[in-house]
Amino acid sequence: MTDTTGAVVKDENEIGGGLSPRQAKKLRMQSMTAEERGYVRRKAVLDAVWPIFRFVILFGLGFVILYPLIYMVSCTFRERADMTDPTVMWIPRHFTLDVLKETLTAMDFWNTLRTTLILNIGCSFVQVVSCALTGYGFARFKFRFKGLLFGIVIMMILVPTQVIALPLYTQFRYFGIRGLFTINLIDTLWTMYLPAITANGIRSGLMILIFRQFFRGLPKELEDAACIDGCGPLKTFIKVMIPNAGSAFLTVFLFSVVWYWNDYYVSSTFYVNTNTLARMLTNLDTELKIRLFQSATVEISPREQIVWKEAGCLLSITPILLLYVGLQKHFTEGIARSGITGI
Amino acid sequence: MAEEAIKAEISAPSAETDAGKPKKKRRSLSYEKRKQLYGYGFISIWMIGTLFFFLIPLIKSFWYSFNDVSIGEGRMMTEWVGLAKYDFVLNADPNYTAFLKDTLIETAWKTPLVLIFSLFIAVILNQEFHGRTLARAVFFLPVIIATGPVYKIISGDMNSTGNTGAAQFSTMFSTDLVGELLQFLGIYGISDKMSTIISTIADNIFGIVWASGIQILLFLGALQNIPPSAKEAAQIEGATSWEFFWKITLPYVSPFILANLIFTVIDSFTSPTNTVMGRILSMKEEWKFGEASAMAWIYFMIVLAAIGLVTFIINKFVYYEVE
Repeated sequence: MTDTTGAVVKDENEIGGGLSPRQAKKLRMQSMTAEERGYVRRKAVLDAVWPIFRFVILFGLGFVILYPLIYMVSCTFRERADMTDPTVMWIPRHFTLDVLKETLTAMDFWNTLRTTLILNIGCSFVQVVSCALTGYGFARFKFRFKGLLFGIVIMMILVPTQVIALPLYTQFRYFGIRGLFTINLIDTLWTMYLPAITANGIRSGLMILIFRQFFRGLPKELEDAACIDGCGPLKTFIKVMIPNAGSAFLTVFLFSVVWYWNDYYVSSTFYVNTNTLARMLTNLDTELKIRLFQSATVEISPREQIVWKEAGCLLSITPILLLYVGLQKHFTEGIARSGITGI
Repeated sequence: MAEEAIKAEISAPSAETDAGKPKKKRRSLSYEKRKQLYGYGFISIWMIGTLFFFLIPLIKSFWYSFNDVSIGEGRMMTEWVGLAKYDFVLNADPNYTAFLKDTLIETAWKTPLVLIFSLFIAVILNQEFHGRTLARAVFFLPVIIATGPVYKIISGDMNSTGNTGAAQFSTMFSTDLVGELLQFLGIYGISDKMSTIISTIADNIFGIVWASGIQILLFLGALQNIPPSAKEAAQIEGATSWEFFWKITLPYVSPFILANLIFTVIDSFTSPTNTVMGRILSMKEEWKFGEASAMAWIYFMIVLAAIGLVTFIINKFVYYEVE
C-alpha cells in the first residue's frame, strides 16, 4: 500500500542481506512509540498475508460460481450411463454428441431460439425507447402530480409480477372495449409487446429509474442551448440527449435482454403454445419423454435425466453467455455508472 | 459527483445563460405551462400503459382477493365474499402458511448475508491485483443466469445429486476446521456456536453467491465513487485497511445498502425457487383466482411492511454526503 510498509516488508525479507538495512530498520523502530511499532508490524503482516487470503477466497467462491457451468459442459458430452458410474466425476468416460443432438430435437431448439430472439430483441428495444422517454420526462420537466406519478414508478419496481399477473391475463384474454369488441390476445406476441411499447414490460420500473437518474446527471445547458437554437423538446431529446446517452441505452438494453431471456413467469402466464427457451427448459422433462421415447410415462432415473437437463441449460444460456463475454464491460460498468444510486 | 464535476465545468459559460434570461422571462408563464405539457407528453405513453397494464390489474387483483372469481361471458364474474378468501388461504390451505413462513424466514436471514457478502466481495474486487478483470467477470456471471430457470435446474441438480459445489467447499467447515482454528488461536467456548453458524452459512453459500451478482455490481460502483481525497487523508492519518473500511468505506457505501436491500428482496420475489410464488402459480392453474390473489397480496403486504420498517431504521444510520 504505502511506501513505508513496502520497505518494511522488503527489509524483513532481506534480513540476511547485510547489517545496514537491519540497522536502519532498528533505528526507525526505536524512534517510534510502542503504539506505532505495533501498528507497523501489524500492517506488515497483514500486507503479506492478505493477498494469499484474497486468492483463496476468490478462487473458492469463483469455483462455486463456475462449478455448475463446468458441470453442464461435462454432462452434455457424456453418455447417460456415465451418470451412474461413480468413477466419472468431471471427465466423461464415453464421449458423445448424442445427448446434445437429442436435446436439440427435444427443445426444437432452432425454432424456439428464433421465437425467443424475436420476442427478446424486439421487446427489449421498444422497452428501452419507451423507458428512456419516460425517464427523460421525469428527469427534466416539472409538472403537477409528478411526485405521485413517480411514486407509481417506484410501486412498479416493488410490486411483484405475480400480484398483477392474473388480472393481466384476463385483460389480454378479453382485450378491447367491453360491449363493443374483444379479442383474445393470449398466446400472441402482443402480450409481451404491448406492455413493452408502453414502458410496462419486465422490470421497466427499474429501467425508468435508471434513465431518470442518468438524464438528471447530464448538464441542463445542453437543452438550453438546443432550445435557443430552436429545437422542440422531442427534437432535443432525439438530437441532443440520445447521442449523449449511448452507454445508458446499451446497459439498459443488455439488462433488458437478459431479463426477457430469463423470464419464465410472465411468458408462461400468457403463452400456451408459444415456447421460449426458458419455458422449453422448464418443461424439458415431459418434452424429452414424449419426443425421445414416444411416451410420457417412461421412467428414467432422475440422475440420468440430468444429462439432458444440463445439456438444455447449456444450450439456453450459450447465446446470452456469448453476449456477456463480448460486452462484459458494458454489463459491469454500465449499471454502476449510470447511477441507480438515487433510490 | 459526476454531476458536480460537469456543473463545475459548465459554470464558466453561465454568463451566457444569464444573458439569455430576460428573453425567457418575457414569456415565462406560457413557457412554464408549455414545459409542463411537454413533460406530460414525454410520459404519456407510460401513463397509458401503466393505467392498463399496471394500475387496473393491481386494483383488480386486490378486488379479486375479496371475491369468488369465475370466468363468464367475455369477462370475469365476481361475487363478493368479503374476507373469506383470506380466511381460506391462512387457515384452510394446506401449504400456504408453511411456505409463507419458510420463505419469509429465508428472506429475513439470507438478505443480510447477501448484503454483507456482496459488500465484502465488492471491497476485494475493488483492490488492485492480477486477474482482477477475470475475477469480476466470474462474479458478475450470476447476474445473467440467476434470474432464469437455468438457475432452478442448477440448484435443483445440486441438491439431488448431493455433490454441490458448496458442499465440496464446505467440507472444510463440516470437519470443524474453524472450531479447531479458533481453539488453536486460544478462543474456546464460542467455537460450537460459531461453527454451527459458519457451517450453515457454508451450506447455503451456493445460494448466497448466486444471489449477489447485481449487489456486488452496485457496491462496486459505490466504492469507485469514494473520493480519492478521503483515501489520501486516511492514508496520511495512518489508517489500517480495517479502520478504513469502518470509517470511510461503510459510510460512503451506506446509501447503497438500502438500494441493495430492496433489490435483494425483489429478486427473491421472482426467484424461481420461491415456494410461495410457486404455490400462487399452481392456484392460478387451478383457476382459483380469488385465492391466488389473496395469497399474493398477503405475501406482498408483509414484505412491503418489512421493507418500510427496514428503510426507516436504515435511514437513521445512512450517511448522505452533503453536495
